[in-house]
Amino acid sequence: MASTAPSPTRMRYLPVVAQLAFAAAALSVPFFLSGGSYLLYVATQLGVYVVAAIGLNLLAGYVGQVSLGHAAFLAIGAYATALLTVDHQWSFWAAAVVGIVLSAGLGVLMALPSFRLTTWYFAFITLAFALVFEKMIVEWRGLTKGFAGVIGVPPPQFFGFELGQKALYWLVAGTAIVCFLIVRNMVKSRFGRGFVAVRDTPAAALAAGASPQRLKMLGFIVAAAFAGIAGAFFAVQKTVVTPDDFTADFSIFFLLTVVLGGLGTLWGPVFGALVFFLIPELLHGLESWRMLVYGCILLVLMLFAPQGLVGALNAGVRRLTARPRGAPGAAAATSAAAPVAHPPIAGAALAVEGLKKRFGGVAALDDVAVRAGPGTCCAIVGPNGSGKTTLLNVVGGFYERDEGTVQIDGRETRGMSAQAVAGLGLGRTFQTPRLLNDLSIVDNVLLGAFTRERAWLPEIVLRLPRARREAAALRAEALGYLDFVGIADRAEDLASEVPHGQQRLVEIARALMGGARLLMLDEPAAGLSMVELDKLEQLISRIRDLGATVVIVEHHLDLVASIASHVIVLDRGRVLAAGAPSEVFADPAVQRAYMGERAVQGAPAS
Amino acid sequence: MDIDTLVRGLVNGSLYALVAVSFNILYRPTNVFNFAQGELVMLGAMVFASASTLMGLPWIGALAVALVAVGILGLIEERIAVAPVLAKSQHNTGWVITTLAVSLIISNLVGRVWGPDPIMVEPPPLLSTQTLDWTGIQINSYQIALIIVTFVMVLAIERVYRTRHGKAVLATAEDREAALLRGIDPAKLSRWSFFLGGAFAGLTGVLAAPILYASTALGPSLLLKGFAAAAVGSIGNNRGALIAGYLIGLTEAIGASVLSPGYQEAVIFVLVLTLLLLKPHGLFGRPFTRTV
Repeated sequence: MASTAPSPTRMRYLPVVAQLAFAAAALSVPFFLSGGSYLLYVATQLGVYVVAAIGLNLLAGYVGQVSLGHAAFLAIGAYATALLTVDHQWSFWAAAVVGIVLSAGLGVLMALPSFRLTTWYFAFITLAFALVFEKMIVEWRGLTKGFAGVIGVPPPQFFGFELGQKALYWLVAGTAIVCFLIVRNMVKSRFGRGFVAVRDTPAAALAAGASPQRLKMLGFIVAAAFAGIAGAFFAVQKTVVTPDDFTADFSIFFLLTVVLGGLGTLWGPVFGALVFFLIPELLHGLESWRMLVYGCILLVLMLFAPQGLVGALNAGVRRLTARPRGAPGAAAATSAAAPVAHPPIAGAALAVEGLKKRFGGVAALDDVAVRAGPGTCCAIVGPNGSGKTTLLNVVGGFYERDEGTVQIDGRETRGMSAQAVAGLGLGRTFQTPRLLNDLSIVDNVLLGAFTRERAWLPEIVLRLPRARREAAALRAEALGYLDFVGIADRAEDLASEVPHGQQRLVEIARALMGGARLLMLDEPAAGLSMVELDKLEQLISRIRDLGATVVIVEHHLDLVASIASHVIVLDRGRVLAAGAPSEVFADPAVQRAYMGERAVQGAPAS
Repeated sequence: MDIDTLVRGLVNGSLYALVAVSFNILYRPTNVFNFAQGELVMLGAMVFASASTLMGLPWIGALAVALVAVGILGLIEERIAVAPVLAKSQHNTGWVITTLAVSLIISNLVGRVWGPDPIMVEPPPLLSTQTLDWTGIQINSYQIALIIVTFVMVLAIERVYRTRHGKAVLATAEDREAALLRGIDPAKLSRWSFFLGGAFAGLTGVLAAPILYASTALGPSLLLKGFAAAAVGSIGNNRGALIAGYLIGLTEAIGASVLSPGYQEAVIFVLVLTLLLLKPHGLFGRPFTRTV
């Protein structure tokens, strides 16, 4: 723990001052270049696009839900602002708020069906929405004034002063910075980890107790609201709002901006918008080929640089700064020498009775019973396809059971969702590790603490003291768990960069981080080397001895025999035998199921 | 509802059902929903129009040219835009963006090659788009043939899925890796599906052309209605797609007598969205089981 990054408090303030100075300098550029008011106009427009792109990037890049109709959400903000200020003499601020709320509300409506469906439904629904909306603007003349559009949108007033072009520019630039900071703080918090989990491995999100629905909803609301903000500024900046401004091409433009800059990178939308802003100038003579060029760029980027310019830049920097690593044996030796102390765990008992689960005509589980108490390890063994993982999935709330009872710490879990079951203190690992490959090891462990964080979203976005304190404390705790499982030295590496055996340890640390009192391990020993296997055995024993209830599904019978006090053998969904390891493994029926009839007959009777 | 509205609804509904089935053919083994499908349908109509009017090929020859051309384009799409994305990760949804990019490329290239004007396409010999007054019903022989052909095609496709190859397709959709262990080559199936799905889209375009004319405007509208039919009829379910196609066609035809075209699409969109809210897996679907 002593060897972590330098104290964050000392480091914090200097870069902030430098960053502010740099941002102010960069934003002042339009004033120094020749071109005068046209340049300022274009720079303001760029700011408007950046705001919308930042929102779309959060949704498409982090949450993994692609909106193909972002122009429609902008249109709502723009039309609401234009119509309310022109026809009803509202102030810009009130009108903009209405626009943002309307846009966010429609975003939620589009999102609802995609909660229970695969990702691309949302993409299609937003695409359809944009195409339908485009026609509606023209058709609903009574409200939108049809093709002619709304003209003469007045500039915003601020305490009686009319904001001129320069003031508007600074207002948009300030808004863009605020939006950027909101998304940055969100992405670096538990919400960011949750977003990436929803995008890459929803099962890991559920196991950590995070609700994919709520996280998606948050992404939709933020993205649509940002589009609404951008739309409101769009209206006052152009002073004219017409249907031609919000075509399907405009939606594609935003998507391309985000993909070009880098999906799921913080600076991606900013860079993308900047670069994109130059491209039309370069493509001046090719105006009619524009959409074709867009299509080609999109295709090539997605295939060869899915993380765009910023992603490519990051990868380059990572490669250059990659630090040489000592021999892995040395690190293993140090952590094995001094096991890290950990306070006792109040284990949660598991009681399963009469559990049944059918898939079509196949009985995956038939009248299965499991009992495991705190401080003990119960092993579930059996041939492939005997229902072991199904059992874990039913207990974890990933599958609905057909019959039977499952009690965790005396509480019946029938009807509970996977994330609710996780909330009872169930932590699990997966047969193939479900890590977030794009995040660091310590961030992966922190995902486990998703439901433990108390700070509200506004606190996190504003980085209020409580949120900061909590984040620091949890980070320290996560590093402690990495130390506990013996891989503290890899805390800052990307999950995709660590070997398979260590990924399993990260999953165990993640489960412990979530406050697991009942730990279910699905084939933790699969693919481990002999050295790793010894370490795993010690680790599981330690967790068990701390008081946690451990349920392990495993093929490695030596490991089972040495750590489990109780073994349950499943065969084709039924309990074939149960009891102490030595009795169970001596049972001829078990030997037959495992090794086949002939092997048992050929063996000398013992 | 008067009989003419019914006819219009059934005719357009047939086309929507065919587009939905072409979606399904692609979707079943790959779990990819091709955003360029509308443009493939459009291309089928354009190629057919050129082959029959400019090159003077007979109806059946022009049909063959259109099917093969669009099928090959589907295959190229799979090779360039889908397979590389799926190779990175089975759960990657990057194909949403890549197939959309393909759709942009096709629609703009076709726009440049053929220009914006709709091309009139003749129906096959023996059939006519000349409206007959048959016991008070305004209908033409081509419309009747289209409705019948749609039924036959959907039932034929359903039969194919009951054969060994068809079952392999379903198995791959269920579990790609398990299918691999059973000696099914998912990559080959995926190539074939894109070829056949493309060819079916081309056929749909050819069938649509005498009624809707061949033009670049065909793509987006058929894409959306076809998607609506596929979603309402439950993705992957061809009979569902057939029924849903007719439901949407009829709704639209009834709406047309009451509302102007701009609202019509909005009404269908709202109806489909509401239905998906209530029944996310469509009218004939079962929820997918989650796997860990």
